Amino acid sequence: MVARVYVPGDAAAVAVGADEVAAALAAVAARLSTPIEIIRNGSRGMFWLETLVEVETPQGRIGYGPIEAPEVPDLVAAGLFDGAPHAKRVGRPDEIPFLARQTRLTFARCGVIDPGSLDDYRGHGGLKGLERARDLGMIGILDEVTASGLRGRGGAGFPTGIKWRTVAEAVADRKFVVCNADEGDSGTFADRMIMEGDPFVLIEGMIIAGLAVEASYGYVYIRSEYPHAIAALERAIVTAREAGLLGAAFDLEVRAGAGAYVCGEETALLDSLEGKRGVVRVKPPLPAHKGLFGKPTVVNNVLSLAAIPFILAEGAAAYRTFGMGRSRGTMPIQLAGNIRRGGLYETAFGVTLGELVEDIGGGTWSGRPVRAVQVGGPLGAYFPPSLFDTPFDYEAFAARDGLIGHGGVVVFDDSVDMARQARFAMQFCAVESCGKCTPCRLGAVRGTEVIDKIITGQDVAANLSLVEDLCHTMKLGSLCALGGFTPYPVMSAITHFPEDFGARRTMAAE
Amino acid sequence: MSASDEDHIATTSDERLVVMANQIARFFASQPGDAAAGVAKHIAAYWDPRMRAHIRAHAAAGGAGLDPIASDGVAALTR
Amino acid sequence: MPMIKLIDYGTPDAASDMTVTLTIDGREISVAAGTSIMRAAALAGTEIPKLCATDSLEAFGSCRLCLVEIDGRAGTPASCTTPAAEGMVVRTQTETLKRLRNGVMELYISDHPLDCLTCAANGDCELQDMAGAVGLREVRYGYDGENHLAEAKDESNPYFTFDPAKCIVCSRCVRACDEVQGTFALTIAGRGFGSKVSPGQGQPFMDSDCVSCGACVQACPTATLIEKSLIEIGQPERSVVTTCAYCGVGCTFEAQMRGEQVVRMIPYKDGKANQGHSCVKGRFAWGYATHRERILNPMIRDTITDPWREVAWNEAIAHTTQAFKRIQERHGRLAVGAITSSRCTNEETFLVQKLVRAGYGNNNVDTCARVCHSPTGYGLRTTYGTSAGTQDFISVDQADVIVIIGANPTDGHPVFASRMKQRLRAGAHLIVIDPRRIDLVRTPHVEADFHLPLRPGTNVAVLTAMAHVIVTEDLANEDFIRDRCDADEFHDWAAFVARPEHSPEAIEATCGVPAGDLRAAGRLYATGGNGAIYYGLGVTEHSQGTTAVMAIANLAMVTGNIGREGVGVNPLRGQNNVQGACDMGSFPHELSGYRHISDEATRSMFEADWGVALDDEPGLRIPNMLDAAVDGVFKALYIQGEDILQSDPNTHHVSAGLAAMECVVVQDLFLNETANYAHVFLPGSTFLEKDGTFTNAERRIQRVRKVMTPKNGYGDWEITQLLANAMGLGWAYDHPSQIMDEIARLTPTFAGVSFARLDELGSIQWPCNDAAPQGTPVMHIGGFARGKGKFVVTEYVPTDEKIGPRFPLLLTTGRILSQYNVGAQTRRTANVVWHDQDVLEIHPTDAEDRGVREGDLVRLNSRAGEVALHARITDRVAPGVVYTTFHHPDTQANVITTDYSDWATNCPEYKVTAVQVSLANGPTGWQRRSGELSHQSRRIMREPAE
Repeated sequence: MVARVYVPGDAAAVAVGADEVAAALAAVAARLSTPIEIIRNGSRGMFWLETLVEVETPQGRIGYGPIEAPEVPDLVAAGLFDGAPHAKRVGRPDEIPFLARQTRLTFARCGVIDPGSLDDYRGHGGLKGLERARDLGMIGILDEVTASGLRGRGGAGFPTGIKWRTVAEAVADRKFVVCNADEGDSGTFADRMIMEGDPFVLIEGMIIAGLAVEASYGYVYIRSEYPHAIAALERAIVTAREAGLLGAAFDLEVRAGAGAYVCGEETALLDSLEGKRGVVRVKPPLPAHKGLFGKPTVVNNVLSLAAIPFILAEGAAAYRTFGMGRSRGTMPIQLAGNIRRGGLYETAFGVTLGELVEDIGGGTWSGRPVRAVQVGGPLGAYFPPSLFDTPFDYEAFAARDGLIGHGGVVVFDDSVDMARQARFAMQFCAVESCGKCTPCRLGAVRGTEVIDKIITGQDVAANLSLVEDLCHTMKLGSLCALGGFTPYPVMSAITHFPEDFGARRTMAAE
Repeated sequence: MSASDEDHIATTSDERLVVMANQIARFFASQPGDAAAGVAKHIAAYWDPRMRAHIRAHAAAGGAGLDPIASDGVAALTR
Repeated sequence: MPMIKLIDYGTPDAASDMTVTLTIDGREISVAAGTSIMRAAALAGTEIPKLCATDSLEAFGSCRLCLVEIDGRAGTPASCTTPAAEGMVVRTQTETLKRLRNGVMELYISDHPLDCLTCAANGDCELQDMAGAVGLREVRYGYDGENHLAEAKDESNPYFTFDPAKCIVCSRCVRACDEVQGTFALTIAGRGFGSKVSPGQGQPFMDSDCVSCGACVQACPTATLIEKSLIEIGQPERSVVTTCAYCGVGCTFEAQMRGEQVVRMIPYKDGKANQGHSCVKGRFAWGYATHRERILNPMIRDTITDPWREVAWNEAIAHTTQAFKRIQERHGRLAVGAITSSRCTNEETFLVQKLVRAGYGNNNVDTCARVCHSPTGYGLRTTYGTSAGTQDFISVDQADVIVIIGANPTDGHPVFASRMKQRLRAGAHLIVIDPRRIDLVRTPHVEADFHLPLRPGTNVAVLTAMAHVIVTEDLANEDFIRDRCDADEFHDWAAFVARPEHSPEAIEATCGVPAGDLRAAGRLYATGGNGAIYYGLGVTEHSQGTTAVMAIANLAMVTGNIGREGVGVNPLRGQNNVQGACDMGSFPHELSGYRHISDEATRSMFEADWGVALDDEPGLRIPNMLDAAVDGVFKALYIQGEDILQSDPNTHHVSAGLAAMECVVVQDLFLNETANYAHVFLPGSTFLEKDGTFTNAERRIQRVRKVMTPKNGYGDWEITQLLANAMGLGWAYDHPSQIMDEIARLTPTFAGVSFARLDELGSIQWPCNDAAPQGTPVMHIGGFARGKGKFVVTEYVPTDEKIGPRFPLLLTTGRILSQYNVGAQTRRTANVVWHDQDVLEIHPTDAEDRGVREGDLVRLNSRAGEVALHARITDRVAPGVVYTTFHHPDTQANVITTDYSDWATNCPEYKVTAVQVSLANGPTGWQRRSGELSHQSRRIMREPAE
């Protein structure tokens, strides 16, 4: 019998040597004349276990991790291909608590299937949603998506059903579906993981979107820093086209970004797709009315579109059962930074920040106490442990001057200097600003300078008041979320960690 | 001074009038109706008395170069 | 008159019939649906602070000063980008907004030089105004942070400077270049704090695609882009609205003055022809008015080889009058005549023709329209009944298919071209019929559906072939033809064009245009919605110019593209007052309003008004005058504002005619080339120095207003009056308005026109009378001026000017953006930096055959003559075709052109001359001799000061 071995081809696994592990396995097997089949699956999202090698056994898939290439001969000798015991054997991956506790709707197949195989996708429930969508028709799809309570996973949390309905009702000779895969937030990787681990789910979601709004063409705008995702999706698009899923009625292409964070903002993304310099557009008009090339356009995040096949396959009710309040369904949360068990954790809305960081994430990697957690990317607020009871929910985070954004959670231990983090937020905004609106273009630079003055102890009180005024200007005055949300990390750092903004501490730190 | 330098057009005004009359005749020849009348009407409306006198004199002297319709048109001039 | 202050409403007018009512700061106001809150507020008298918004540009929403609060809406939306909605309650002044605006201004000023007192924009700076409006009192950031204050100034453009240190990155300049001008020369380079305005790819302005239209300067709210003249002179103290004296677009400008000095010319937002836009000529090239070569004193001389002698006005007038009287006594009443100017006002033109008819007692008056659009007058009058274009300019906004024939609007009529480009960018289709690949064939965001690069001289064949496609493919608009046109004439015509010899396939070999393209273009024009034809001198300046105009008129009728917005037949007039000069009775056969001199009723009306008997015979046209002069029977000519030696064809013949005269009187600003043959020189006045009216290509009559006293002492109308009174005519006009009153009294299509009415309405498009008291923007609505539209059979007759072994190439001529006509004005401005000589465009293949390389001096000769000029190798021209301009007297391109002319009007065939090109080793003999003559003719003996 040919042993079937899974070695993730996911960029995170490759970054810690998955390619070398795969090569070593092949070499050892060849030397031993043991026929094996290596499948480059996606990641299961347990990054501390990467490279996580899995082998198919009569008891199911057995995992070994984290594995590095030099260990491979010993592992094979110990009986890896048979699922034999070993110090690195972690058992059935889906029984590992981190994974077992999750509710994987969107990521159900990620790490399980061969991302290049449409048959594998279909064999694991893929394309059921599309079949049902075809039966339901345009209105039926719109009703289903609206009823599911799905909200945009890119950060703004706008109800997807309403957005689609707006585009569906717009009259035009052409409409587009654009997938925003310009995943630029620090500590986020969910878009990349799904595109590398289960690209067909995104393609299926986009085809359904096309049916719902009568769009004939779609674009996936992927940041250039994601070459593996670009390759995986392009391969999957070719396969889908050969299988007749894509073609005359609806087709797709991948466009690579050029490294600007602001192009993750939907209107700047549209400009960039049109071949222009990526600059934020004013709204109205909404992209749903005048989007790409002036045509009605659905712009959705990868995670929103990837949630669609489940909703259509299993029904809106099955999805909206999960979650709390107005945040329905599941959220693929990304645990990162100084954390023991970093990775992707898909769960129903409602889990508290404390559970995520301490129980699921296991506290800091360094072992020191957690001091701050930034949720929602570089523009998200810093939460101190005193707010760890905050449930993961759009409204609950907003009530505490925070945001869940794209679901990134970055953990810091007690060695962090929050004044420097505040400065970093301003600097990030300055570096990434498109330059269109004044509060962001000039404010971010001045903000950096003023915080520098605070750090060096110059007129601390007056300058703190100036930062506060500046944050007011930026928050209310900026054209898009880049300038508008930069005050979140800055003001949350000042509010929750005032001790870092006095002259004494920062002078000492110099 | 090169030879070609002085090689410019030297038509007399009578020659020009013949060319003009023929051009007018060529247009009216393509139109429905009485071409000679068209020519005469056009010349009467746009040519000054001296030009008209010259072309009539030219026609009277044999009308060298004048197309038949142009000749008829000049003949139809009443003043 | 103080400075004119126009309200900037912040965002453009929303064209909607629906209204919405909202409340702004407690005041209710109803506005058109789609109006921004900012504009609604401005209409209600509330100025919301703004910097990136201006009502000539689409809202952009970048400065964030105009934020407001709206009941029931989260946050502080920008009032420029948020449309007013029914029942909306808006607050523009709250504590939150004050804090916010203060914060924004504090940021702006933290990166702006604090040199207000020495800044050229001091007193006219929106940044300064806004700092005041929001009550900014301190900049807590200090001034030692990162900044742009050390950025280098770009002074490469002759007319304006670009100082990035003062830039607030509002993008108004970039947007003006894109949206208004359509050149896309500017961009914002970099991003974030590093964002900066960049001409081209970080080039100086002069190296970029910038066409110096001034839209960016006009849009700039600070001193970043500012006129050099303003920097030099200082802020203006008064302003006067007037009309540009360059092309037939007729842009309205606000002349901003300081004392007797023009500080700058600002395109006027309420100008109907230009709507606030301008080009490099009108906006900047007015310095000729004070150029040192301008002649300010009358001069006389006995022979054309003598130096000029300055004399007093009375002596010059008396001298001229005596000469004309003497010549008429000796050579007869018909031995004298005059040429009116399309550069002068309607009133001045009217007076010159009146002087000829009432004073000289003959009808020997003609105008430069003879050599440009006379076929338009004849052709459109014959087919439609009116000698003028059918539309107003804004009609193009409704066009779906734009056809450009023999015109190059981006160079010749740039402000209208920009408007046309706006429509093309919005999706209208474009067909270009031109031997040369003009810019509009492919320009940023505009590409012609079809470019038909026809062989020069084959317009009639091409237009008839298009008609063939329409008729034989059943694309004719039968309803329109039945209701509006003469049926018999239509059937004759339809049978004619349907003949197989007029099919595109049959014509292809003649015109060089692929039959497939001809067919497709014909179909597109007939079926693409509103079809609008714009044409220029590439149509008229041919031996079949009139026939081609009629062929165009046929096409519009057969497709029903006439009599409403968005369609029509639109001649693009070359000079500022070509339409007006024609309207005013400048042609030898007709009185004002296109009424034939032989018409008893019309003539007697003038006779009664003027108290003289009028000759009922048509007079001489310009070429006929020259012929008659060579024949020795035409002896004296009064030329107002024309340079026929340079502008008219076959220079040798023109010079022979002029040299044969006893008294040539030139009235002009400068000693032009014609003045080399003059005996009297009367210094003329510029458009800045007199009152009057110009009529543009839309038939739009617009006021020219005096902004300074004439440096030469008199307006041109006053000089003509001096001549008339010296002849004993007893004229007593105190002001040009009285002349317009006389025109209105004697011309039915002008009956409702007066200066008072013009001041009231801004402008009037004739016909304006009891039937149309507000004027007539679009003609032939519901019926043609002549009754039924007349289809005219248009047989193609090849020109006699044919290529052969001796002259194997075809020369066609045109103009360029920066120069105007014979260049008398533009050559005396900094515009020469763009075009300091006429060059010959030649295709690479033709150049290679002749061993000509880029920039070589080449000899261009035809059977009429030869000139030397430098070659530019380009595939804009097809093989076998060469092209040049006629702006420079030292080139004298018209030495080459022949005396072939249009069969109906004698309009010269400038556009087709058979030529040969060869390498040259210096100027030709003619160029050298003419240069010597010019030099001689510029010798002036000044009277010692009294």
